[in-house]
Amino acid sequence: MKRTTLWKRMAAAVLSSALLIGAAFTTQYRADAAEVSGKIVVAGSTALLPLTQQAAKEFKKHHPKVKIVVSGSSSIAGPQSVAKGVATIGACDWDATRAVGGFPAYKGLKAYKIAKIPFAVIVNKNNAVNNLSVQQIQDIYEGKITNWKQVGGKDEEIVVINRAKGSGTRVNFEDKIMDGHAIKTSGDNYKEVQKSGDMVNAVSSNPNAIGFVDLAYVKGGIKAVSINGVKATTANAASGKYVFYGYGYLLTKGEAKGADKAFINYILSQKFQHGSLKKLKFIPVK
Amino acid sequence: MEKQSPDWTDAMNLLTAHRQSRWTVKYTADRFFRFLCLGSVIFLGAVLGAIVLFVSETGFLVFRDVSLSEFFFSPHWDPEHGKYGAAVFIAGTLYLTLVTLLITTPISICVAVFIAEIAPPWLRQWLRTLLDLLVGIPSIVYGYLGATLLIPWIREHTGAPVGDGFLAAALVLSIMILPTITRITDDALCAVPNEWREANYALGGTTFQMIVRVVLPAAKSGIAAAVILGMARAIGETMAVVMVIGNVAQWGFDLVTPSSVLTSHIVMQILNVDFQSTTNHALYMMALLLLMISISLIMLIRRLRLKGGAS
Amino acid sequence: MNDQATLLHEKTSRLHIRRLMNRLILGVVIIISLAVFFVILALLYTIVKKGLPNINIHFLIGPPEEIDAGGGVGPFLWNSIYILVLSLLLSLPIGIGAGIFLAEYAPNNRIMEWVRGAIESLASVPSIVFGLFGYALFVEYFQIGVTILGASITLALLNLPVLARVSEEAITAVPSTWKEASFALGATKAQTIIKTVLPAAKKGILTGVSLVACRAFGESAIILLVGGTSSSGQMWDFHLFSEGATLPVHLWYIQSEALVADAQQIAEKTSALLVLMVLFLSFIVRFPLWLSQRKK
Repeated sequence: MKRTTLWKRMAAAVLSSALLIGAAFTTQYRADAAEVSGKIVVAGSTALLPLTQQAAKEFKKHHPKVKIVVSGSSSIAGPQSVAKGVATIGACDWDATRAVGGFPAYKGLKAYKIAKIPFAVIVNKNNAVNNLSVQQIQDIYEGKITNWKQVGGKDEEIVVINRAKGSGTRVNFEDKIMDGHAIKTSGDNYKEVQKSGDMVNAVSSNPNAIGFVDLAYVKGGIKAVSINGVKATTANAASGKYVFYGYGYLLTKGEAKGADKAFINYILSQKFQHGSLKKLKFIPVK
Repeated sequence: MEKQSPDWTDAMNLLTAHRQSRWTVKYTADRFFRFLCLGSVIFLGAVLGAIVLFVSETGFLVFRDVSLSEFFFSPHWDPEHGKYGAAVFIAGTLYLTLVTLLITTPISICVAVFIAEIAPPWLRQWLRTLLDLLVGIPSIVYGYLGATLLIPWIREHTGAPVGDGFLAAALVLSIMILPTITRITDDALCAVPNEWREANYALGGTTFQMIVRVVLPAAKSGIAAAVILGMARAIGETMAVVMVIGNVAQWGFDLVTPSSVLTSHIVMQILNVDFQSTTNHALYMMALLLLMISISLIMLIRRLRLKGGAS
Repeated sequence: MNDQATLLHEKTSRLHIRRLMNRLILGVVIIISLAVFFVILALLYTIVKKGLPNINIHFLIGPPEEIDAGGGVGPFLWNSIYILVLSLLLSLPIGIGAGIFLAEYAPNNRIMEWVRGAIESLASVPSIVFGLFGYALFVEYFQIGVTILGASITLALLNLPVLARVSEEAITAVPSTWKEASFALGATKAQTIIKTVLPAAKKGILTGVSLVACRAFGESAIILLVGGTSSSGQMWDFHLFSEGATLPVHLWYIQSEALVADAQQIAEKTSALLVLMVLFLSFIVRFPLWLSQRKK
């Protein structure tokens, strides 16, 4: 992103006074940073954050000299931060080197598939409906089916809950389930929520709600419905019988090098894939 | 006295010089202090300038792709199909702020009067601390409580299928800004000299008359500042609102239809968009608009206050 | 005679009505206020009751976990305190300085009206905009990544306008006779302000500081963007360039995406801890004032 000189000067003026205190530290830090070659900065998806944080924690034990900073804000921030150069590894819920979900393809990035993520269509625990076909889910989200009795439930209006546009889970939902059908994004029975946790709250506190979330979050007041008669389990998703799943990706600028490569290799190692990754309810890709 | 010994003159000169240097130091320090204070204000101005510049630099790019009239007057927000009308969010922000202030201002002033004028002194300190606690509770905790306690309650009592909307948002915001307005009003009330209160009693006025005719008018400017700061916080609040408003780009004037305001929409989408996209530019434009709305509201209230003060 | 009697009667009955009105309205005020405080207490109780009994020392200083239950929030708690102190160190002098200028030095003209309006509008800038600003400045422009330093400075910027506005209000409320007395004793303006005006306005300013400190402590949007979502994982990390996630951000993360087994309990405990910390904080800010009041 180009910044005008005016903007730069402005920022410098504002900051020069504020930075005074940190100045000594800054110079010292800059010197440090030049010497340390192995610094990994991971940014991007919050859905993959538990995974990357855990990996970073274990990785640090094996490579104490590498400094690793993990943070998360949104999926699209992954490829963007890497493209801009403010992060060395970007985490994203889809393959950002292709144009997906209305986002452009990020050229010059390399995507590493690190985990298979099973998703679930969820309803309130007290809902009588246990199975929905892909067609039925599409109709509900398109606004064609508006009452639970039309799909075998009680005579209650369906409350449709969706994630914010650009959410990795929504991108996968539109890709795998909606399949080109547009979601009806209006009406007094429709709302959008920000994060997975909000989705879980919204569905568990409303008996007539339907939503979708990573399978790992399904517990407490919500339950996953079977899709086309196939139960939502990690085993079914691993075998491919269950259709609602996606992949988590790590992206680097060009081929991964040095510490970044070591980190990605660690995540792809048998030990991590079948250890922590599995414990976090992701599905190993190796 | 006319024939002063050289020693005497020297001593006098020395003393004057000493005094002068003390004076210089004193006044240099005085000027330096003034300079520091001025610098602080300039710094504040610079921060505002930098933020406006930062937001508008990206924001105005939206008008490369979207016409002015569409952005401001069209209620259709659907970036996937190239529709960038922000009217719903703009009207929503104004409406939500109005509803929130209608709920919270009378209650806040009531509570402030209670603390400053009626409550016994030992209770005051406790009540004030209690209010401060409310300011510090993170907005996400309010949002969480709103989403899990308030929304089911609204659903039950209004029959709305979802429950999210302006009513929930206004109630959550009211609780959030109540301590801000109350505490600053309370301070303003306490700053009214006690003699004035005594004068009221001496003239045979009741406590109620004292409050309405003496204390509140005297504290007018402070109360206005309190309401403005509360309003400013209400306009700018994001994390809690986004959890209870429903986040749908549609009108929600009936209070229980899921709708959206500028802040909630910005926070909902800003992390999820491509930096170079028109949607991102539109979101920055909304942020600028938010700034403009609060600046104009604040200027309006300041003008009203000045007029009120003159009469 | 008769006339006088009716007049007297009229007067007493008006007095009665006035007294009745007085009682009635004061009663309403008291009822509303007590209801409000009841709601507040109920809210606090809801937050604290679930989390408080389970908080132990390991939770307070232990490192967080991603998979297993039993993780702590130590580094986040530490970051919260550290960032708060840094941001206050930066914002207090500038905020109060600006308040002094506006109240004491500023000429009473249109330009200053605009400046005041501008500061109040700055107070209404949503924190997410400050967050994005901080992100553009520290992460993109200075390329220092998500840090404690960046988070503290951005947080200070958020605090400034409120602080300036509240101190201006407090300073303006100091009677001008006090200042005149000080001038008459030969004090310069700076001496008058520092020795007479500021101590007199102490109470109002401290209210502002406590408002600002509590709000900064609970802020999440800014820290999320500029301070990041994780900590360096070590306790007592004074390094200004470590990741600066705070308690509210951790709470946000736990509530929105965390997969750790006891996420619900951690969220409850963290909420309770936040409330307690805020209580503690407003006590600390008030403490000097309370002491000096007791001396009198």
